Formats: sequence, C-alpha cells, structure tokens
Amino acid sequence: MRDSYRKQLEALHVSLIRMGAFCEEAIAKAVKALLDEDPSLAQEVAQAEKEIDLMEREIEAFCLRLLLREQPVAGDLRQITAAQRMITDMERIGDQAADIAELSVFMVGSPVKSDIRIGDMARATVKMLSDSVDSFVGDDLEKARGVIAYDDVVDDLFDEIKNELIALIAKDGSAGGACLDLLMIAKYLERIGDHATNIAEWVDYSITGNRGNEV
Amino acid sequence: MKRSILILACSITGFSIIITAILIHLAAYWNFSERIKREAVVELGYLREAVELSGPEYLDSLRHGATDPRVSLIAEDGSVLYDSTGKAAEMENHADRPEIKAAFADGTGEGTRFSETMRKQTYYYAVLLRDGSVLRIACTTDSVFASLGWMILLTLGIVAAVFCAVAWMSSRAAQRIVEPLGRLNLDLPEENAAYMELSPLLSGIRRQNDRIAEQLAEMRKKQLEFSAISESMREGLIVLDGEARVVSCNRSALNLLHAHFTGSENVLTLRRDEPFRHAVDRALDGVPSETMLFAEGRHLQMIANPISDGGDTQGAVIMLLDVTEREDREKLRREFSANVSHELKTPLTAISGYAEILSNGVASGEDAPRFARIIYAEAQRLIALVNDILMLSNLDEGGRERAKERIDLRGMAEEAAQRAGEDAGKRGISVAFDGESAEILGIRRVLDEMLSNLLDNAIKYNVDDGRVELSVKKTHEGVALTVADTGIGIPREEQERVFERFYRAEKSRNKSAGGTGLGLSIVKHGAQLHGAKIDLQSEEKGGTRITLTFPEAH
Repeated sequence: MRDSYRKQLEALHVSLIRMGAFCEEAIAKAVKALLDEDPSLAQEVAQAEKEIDLMEREIEAFCLRLLLREQPVAGDLRQITAAQRMITDMERIGDQAADIAELSVFMVGSPVKSDIRIGDMARATVKMLSDSVDSFVGDDLEKARGVIAYDDVVDDLFDEIKNELIALIAKDGSAGGACLDLLMIAKYLERIGDHATNIAEWVDYSITGNRGNEV
Repeated sequence: MKRSILILACSITGFSIIITAILIHLAAYWNFSERIKREAVVELGYLREAVELSGPEYLDSLRHGATDPRVSLIAEDGSVLYDSTGKAAEMENHADRPEIKAAFADGTGEGTRFSETMRKQTYYYAVLLRDGSVLRIACTTDSVFASLGWMILLTLGIVAAVFCAVAWMSSRAAQRIVEPLGRLNLDLPEENAAYMELSPLLSGIRRQNDRIAEQLAEMRKKQLEFSAISESMREGLIVLDGEARVVSCNRSALNLLHAHFTGSENVLTLRRDEPFRHAVDRALDGVPSETMLFAEGRHLQMIANPISDGGDTQGAVIMLLDVTEREDREKLRREFSANVSHELKTPLTAISGYAEILSNGVASGEDAPRFARIIYAEAQRLIALVNDILMLSNLDEGGRERAKERIDLRGMAEEAAQRAGEDAGKRGISVAFDGESAEILGIRRVLDEMLSNLLDNAIKYNVDDGRVELSVKKTHEGVALTVADTGIGIPREEQERVFERFYRAEKSRNKSAGGTGLGLSIVKHGAQLHGAKIDLQSEEKGGTRITLTFPEAH
C-alpha cells in the first residue's frame, strides 16, 4: 500500500520532469524559430503546446487522485500542492512559447531584431527556465533561489529592449509594426521568466514549507 | 509458541477436571443409592417381622404422614390397605406395579422410578407376607440428574479457579521454555545449548548459513568486479530497471552528463532532453537505438540497448561515449577536403579557360604568349599546392615513423637564408643570418620545408626594403630558431588561427601574394613532429617574430 504510494509520488515527480523538459524544448524551439528565421519550427511549437496542455490535465487529475486516495501530509502534501501549482505555470509557459513562435513567422526577414538585445533576453529566459526545472529535478534550493534572483536580469533586459524599440520607432516610423511585434515577444519572454520564478518559488516551498514572501 | 503452550495446558487441565468430577460424582452416587437400597431392605425386614407378629394393626402405631420412607400395605387384589401418607383410600390399584407383581410371584420385588421432573427418584422394595398381602417400602432421594446439576456448578467454579492458577503457571512455564529459543544465536547455531531436540534444526540452519555466506561472497566479488570495470571505464555506463530507475551508474556517466546522482532515481533526473528521453523510451520498449547528445560543449554518442529476459524488457543499458575529438577531426577533415577542392579548382578553371581560348585560335598574336604565361603560372601554383598537400598528408600519416638524424641546424638555416636572399633582393629586402652551431635530431626534408615556408612568409608579407633576420641560438630550453621580419604583421585576433589549414590573415588575402595557405600549417605539423615549441609574436604593421624551440640533440 505505502509502497505503491511511494511509486505514485515518484511517477508524479517524473511526469513533472517530462513536462518541464517539454516546456524547455518548446521555448528553445520558439526562440530558434525567431532568431534563425525557421518557420517550420513554429509548427512544432504549436504541437508541443497541445501536448503540454494534455500533460497538465493528466497531472492535475493524478494529483487529485493522490490527494483523495492517500490523504498525504507534511512534505508529501507540499510536494503535491507545489506540483499542482507548477503545472499551471508550465502550461502558461507552453502557451507563451507558442505565441512567440506564432509571431516569429511575421518577423522573418525583418532586420529590426538584430538591432536589439532580444537574442540575449531569449537566452537568459531559456536559462532561467532550464535552471528552475533543474532545481526541481535535484531538489536544489540554492539553484531555485538563483533563478528567483535572476528574474531581475530578465526584467532589466525587458526595460532595455523597450527603450531601444522606442528609440527605433522615433527614428524610423516604418518599422513600427515589427517593433510592436518584438515588444510583444519581449513581454512574453518576460512573463516566461516570471513563470520560471514561480516554479522556483514552488520548489523552495516544497523543500522548506515557506512561501517566498514569508521568509 | 507461548500462546499455544498456554492454550494446550489450560485445555488439558480443564478437560481433566471435568472428567474427574463427573466420574467421582457417578461413583459417589452409585455408592449412595446402594446404601439406600440396603437400608430399605433392612428396614422392611424389621417391619415385616413386626407386622407378622402383631398383625396389620401394628402399622397404625407408626407415625402418620411420613413420606420418607413411605410404607404401604397392599392386599392380594392390589388395593392399598394402608399407606403411611394416610391417603390409602384415595389410592388406585397397585397390582400392576413391577415390584408388587414380582413380590406376589417371587416373594420379594424391587423397582426404581423417577418423578415427573426427573429430579427425584424413588426406590421401592416389596415383600410378600404370610397372609398373602404385600408390604412395600419406598425411599425417595435426589436423582442422579438433580445432583449432577449442582455438581456441575461446583465443578465449573473449581475449573475457573484452577484455570486461573494453571494459566498463570503455564504462562510462566511457557516463558521458561521459550526463553532459550529467543536467546539462540543463529549466526553460530551449533554453539547453542538450548534443547537437544533442536540440534537437527540448528545444524540445518548452519548449513544454510554457510551456503548464504558463500553466495554472498560470490556476489560481492562479482559486484566488485563490475564496479572495478565500470568505474575505470572512460565511457559512461548507466543501467536502468524496467521503470527507468537508475540501478547503476558509473562516474564517467555522471561526469559526461554533468549530473549528480543521489540514489535510486529516475534516469530523467540525470538528463531530460528529447533525444535522451526518446532513446530511453525506445530501449525500454525493447528497441535498441543510437543517438548523439550535446552536453556542455562535448559531443556524446549515446547507445541504448534493452535488457530482455525471454521477450520481456527488464531494463536498459546506456553507454555514453565522448566523441568530441572524433567529431572535431571529422569536421576538420570535411573542411579540409572542401578547401582543397576549392583551392585546386581556382587555378584549374583559369588554366582550362585560357587553354580553351588558345585552342580555339581566337587569341591574337601578342595575347597567346601572355595566356601561356598565365597558364604556366597557374600550373606552378597547382604544383606548389599539390606539393604542400602531399607534404601535409605525409606529416599527418607517415611522418612519425621516419627515422631522425643528427642535423646541424646552423648549416641548414644558413643555406636557406642564402636561397631566400636571392628572391628577396628583387624587392630590396635584406635577409640576415646569425647563428651558432647546434645539433638537433630531425628530418632534413621536413626541416628544409619548414625553413623555406617561414622565410617565404617573412619575405612575402614584408614591406619593400624591409629586413628579415634568421638566427639559431642555444638557450636553456633547447635550440631556438627565430625568423623575424619587419612586415605587415598579424592582427592579434588572427594570431590563433594562422596555423590552421587554408587560413589566411585578412591582409595577406588582399595582397594576393600567392601562396597556398598551407605554409604555417606545415610549420606547425613539422614542429610537432620534432617536438618543437612554436612562439608567435606579432603586431599589426610591427612585423612578426616566430621562434621554434627544438630539443637539443645530445
């Protein structure tokens, strides 16, 4: 009985890792679609987004089953609650990756993106997400807190890109459309960063039992 | 065990108490009724004597109303003449009572009858008097069933009391029996002195212990062998069970994947990217697969094979090989052949073009010699290129096996400087040589090629009226061969790459100074072959100084 419970908790952990890996791949592909101008990748991201949605529903149901049947307490309960919240964040990341991929199709051939630091921001976001999933995989509190701190870097990059885009529009009004698309992409990236931070905070919670703002 | 001893003791005790009580009771009862019968017979004897002496009237002198013993006188026709209860007149005819019948027939008769509730029993004894009537006495006592009733209660009380005592005692006894068993040392079963009866069991246990210890040692040895092999492997090895949990994982695997392993975990905690997941899933589905992974700048070849036991997949074995160098070499080779084809094609195209014009006869009289010169020059370039490529591949492959001889570097360098000086003079470039005699172990042809390449470069990329200095000096590190020029220099960011095949610094390309782009590559390979160190110092527009330090021959 307890043995099967342990196995189920382990299965939950593994499916979260899988979902996290899917998100990492989706965002990496979306960024590649944008930077390398490869519209075929956008299609793959859309597909991945659907799978991520499916995973969210499955894991959600699995968590509920665990809660009802096993009535977990203490650390196990925290782990399951954290999982329930994390999959919501991951699902949003999947959506935003799909949004970026969709916009990237319109950005093909546009010179604007080489003028601003969108590539840096994309890489920073991918790293944040990757680190947050790493921290979850290894129950690594230090790494989780690193991710939370790194969010400021991504936020600063967003502000910087915003200012660069404003300057670009002021200089050349004809690039306005592309600039707005890029602003959206930057915002999506910034949101992904926030979700990665959330994931890291949930990792922190599941290890320590403290919510970030209470510490 | 204690429990069964307890239950057994208590039930044996209870059973024996009950049986004993019943038997004692029956014996006592039988004894009692026999006595009553005897008393009745004796009493009736007295009564008969009295009645026969003084007539039936004697009976009237007895007390009336007595029921125990009850005395009756029955007439020949069975009617009751007298009864000590005083109710003779109301009584029915007694002629059919068995004891009366027997008395009329044989002179005496007896019988026992139970009351309606069976709780009482009455013993009758009758004798025939001389006058033909029958005198009967009846004694009533509790029946066997009635006495059994209170006897059972008494017995149960005793049983309960004895039971408690027995339970306590047998629990103590059980404790004492079981205690030595608890103290058995199963590691050394035959040294126990508990019960003789246990010795076959204990020696059985010892044999089993021996067998287990043997198997354990064998397993430990195998485990040790396995870990010795797997830990000293450069390749990563991961063994998974059927649910993708890591059963075993060597250090190389963790290093290659840059992962930490803390126990029995799912393999996805080591790495989770798509190709890895896919290969693991396939292996666990029973399909072997091979894939390439990229981890922290290293190329890893991943081979995943299922472990199957007669059809069912029990797990998987994953091998990880670091193939970065192979990949790099492969890349280098691809680049090299692409470059070679390109470099060969350029002069060939020119040659073919001009030759076509000449063969068509369209070239006018003065153009023909010019075209021929171009064809000649391009052919020379081709020859130089092919020579260089041959030299390089020679150095790549067979170079190491060639025997080295003692060579005086000074002599060779001086010769080379002289040769180079003739060409350099045309551009007003002076070639100076300065050196001391120093012997090294080397291959003459390769050293010659290296020297001429170095001097070629020094002259080619020099300014007009510049200077080239060649020197051979013994230092504490070995024999230093230095070529210094006053030429255009190599920009800092390109200094790393000038030794690559077909790489040309930006400036040299612009200057179209000819050359194959393989010169410094040959120098680098030659130096490697001789165990020499290369030092490049250069500044843009400030000239270049290349020093080769050879180990000195002793």
